[in-house]
Amino acid sequence: MGKEALDRLRKTEPAEYLSPSSELSRLARAASSHLYSSLVPFCPTKPPLHQLLSEESFDAEQIWSQIDLLSKPLLPFLRRHLARLEKQSNLHSFLPRPTLKSTATEDGDEEKEEELYSEELELELDDEEEEEKGDEDEENEEEKDEDEEEGEAKGVEDKFLKIKELEKFLEDGEAKEYGLSVQNNKIDLDDKDNESNDDEEDAFDLEDLDGDSEEEVANEMENARYEDFFGRQSNKGAQKKSSSKKVKFDDRPQVKEIEYQESDDENENENDENNLSTHEKESAKLRSTIEEMERANLEPKSWTMIGEVTAGKRPVNSALEVDLDFEHNVKPAPVITEEVTASLEELIKKRIIDGQFDDVQRALTLPTKAPRESKELDESKSKKGLAEIYEEEYAQTAMHATAPISVSDELKKEAEMLFKKICSKLDALSHFHFAPKPVIEDMSIQANVPALAMEEIAPIAVSDAAMLAPEEIFQGKGDIKEERELSRSDRKRRRANKKRRFKTDTVKRAAKKPRPTTDANGKS
Amino acid sequence: MELPASSAAMETEANGPPPSSAVAPSAAPPKPLFQALKPHEMSDGKIQFRKVPVPPNRFAPLKKNWMEIYTPIYEQMKVDIRMNLKAKRVELKTRHDTPDVSHLQKCADFVNAFMLGFDICDALALLRLDDLYVDSFEIKDVKTLRGEHLSRAIGRLSGKGGKTKFAIENSTRTRIVIADTKIHILGSFVNIKVARDSLCSLILGSPAGKVYSKLRAVSARLAEQY
Repeated sequence: MGKEALDRLRKTEPAEYLSPSSELSRLARAASSHLYSSLVPFCPTKPPLHQLLSEESFDAEQIWSQIDLLSKPLLPFLRRHLARLEKQSNLHSFLPRPTLKSTATEDGDEEKEEELYSEELELELDDEEEEEKGDEDEENEEEKDEDEEEGEAKGVEDKFLKIKELEKFLEDGEAKEYGLSVQNNKIDLDDKDNESNDDEEDAFDLEDLDGDSEEEVANEMENARYEDFFGRQSNKGAQKKSSSKKVKFDDRPQVKEIEYQESDDENENENDENNLSTHEKESAKLRSTIEEMERANLEPKSWTMIGEVTAGKRPVNSALEVDLDFEHNVKPAPVITEEVTASLEELIKKRIIDGQFDDVQRALTLPTKAPRESKELDESKSKKGLAEIYEEEYAQTAMHATAPISVSDELKKEAEMLFKKICSKLDALSHFHFAPKPVIEDMSIQANVPALAMEEIAPIAVSDAAMLAPEEIFQGKGDIKEERELSRSDRKRRRANKKRRFKTDTVKRAAKKPRPTTDANGKS
Repeated sequence: MELPASSAAMETEANGPPPSSAVAPSAAPPKPLFQALKPHEMSDGKIQFRKVPVPPNRFAPLKKNWMEIYTPIYEQMKVDIRMNLKAKRVELKTRHDTPDVSHLQKCADFVNAFMLGFDICDALALLRLDDLYVDSFEIKDVKTLRGEHLSRAIGRLSGKGGKTKFAIENSTRTRIVIADTKIHILGSFVNIKVARDSLCSLILGSPAGKVYSKLRAVSARLAEQY
């Protein structure tokens, strides 16, 4: 009943599928259930449903999900089976082309077929993840469309060129390419299997029919070279088919070439390496690493490996991406937290309470010389008359009589000295400020003699230290330069100063010269 | 002609043999001895006068201090002095026992200084010391000032309560009299110069502090000389 439904579906015109028809849907449901039940015995795990529930009430979605449930465990099983069979196969012979239902395209040209192939490749490239779903979506559609497409474009096809086969072949090739690249990393793809099982019935029938021979064909497809077609046969026995469980329907020259262009490079190396011993493999790996390192050594190093790099030698903003480690000579700024602030405030309060401020106290500079006795200007009317002043003066100079120091002054001076002594002693006891001994100016003449001459009678070692300090011997100011040390500008300055001084001196001398003055009487 | 005659007379008195006789060459004629000329003899026995006019504002002080003026002049300088009220003058005259001609001049200077405004005790120095002078000048000699500027200049010269003037006096050992626009300085030549410089700088407008600093330096230097 199911097979009949399938046949009838095939026979219906494609145009009839466009409009919803209950008859067609009934047929489709019957066909689906037939397929389902035929696949059930092959399922490795216990299928959830033995019969497809395809009553009128069930939606397409629901039917599809049931099919999905069945196919999910089935596909890996089939894949594994295929892989096993591939290992066993050793045949070179090309299989006769199986007759398949072909999908009719609107244009039957070969170019269009290639376009279609490339389009499908692109589509599959883009939607790899959704491929499974998409493919399985296509399932139902294609089941329905099968019969539609059957009748179309019969003119293009013959027993050799089946467009549908072509399409499928292209898809498989594409999948295989990806399967190959994935296989190298030892990951299996599910979607490729789905693709190959687009039309479950057909695919599976094909597999059943062709079995080993198809795998052999796949082998041949991968490993075939120019020689296979046009020359001596290469040693294919050792070459292992590493393709996935893809089913290769057919080999067409143009397809083959395209496929080879894509998958050639990937196949070569693996096939050579697959048959090496462990040691050879290891040495090969070692050699490759050595080569890599040598290549890296020859190439210019990255900027991080060169010693000193200026900004011009490295790319822009590259220092931001690298973790630079350098010494910070500056202490990092302290992070001001609440605790820090609180501690500071506490310290301030404590200090205020204690009255302990770190005030800077002025350090008194010691007087190097005794302060000059400066005569205070008396701003009051002098009590002595002018005559008395001169009288005193005369008395001092002429009679050499010292001015009588009044008794009170002497007493005052003595009292002052005593008080100063006591004050200094008390100061020294009361605070830590160092106060040196007060300078008592003595009027004594110091001659510029060597120090030892004054201090010792028999000097053991003669020192050249003089009694007078250097600044007392020499009183000049600034940087004293010798004749040799003067720069050009200094010399010029000196000369200019000398000239200026000379000029002023001449003017003064001219002024000092007794000018002819006239007396009141007119006598000179 | 009198002189040779008197000398000849003296010679005849002193020497026995006439100078014409060259018989005794060993006996030289004795040198003549002349007595010092008396002041009045120097001026041919004439009496000299000095007349010092009295300005109206000095009448009262003159009358008040007359005895202080009179006593040193008459007693120590031996110069006659009288006051001529009608002519408003003080007249001075030498006596026959005035020791020196310059005494009269000194007394005249003394009286003149008093008339200018100096104190008796200050003016007395003129009598005692030779090399004291009185120098006078006017403010307009230094700088032409009119109206308030003049008043301010006078004020600057004196200072508050006269302290600037006293400062100058004390530091330079002079005496200064500021009579309106006339300034009189009494002292020795060097001191007069210093005082005059200070006063001129005050007239020209420098502040008192600046003048003080200069004075201090100068006075220290002057003091170091002794």
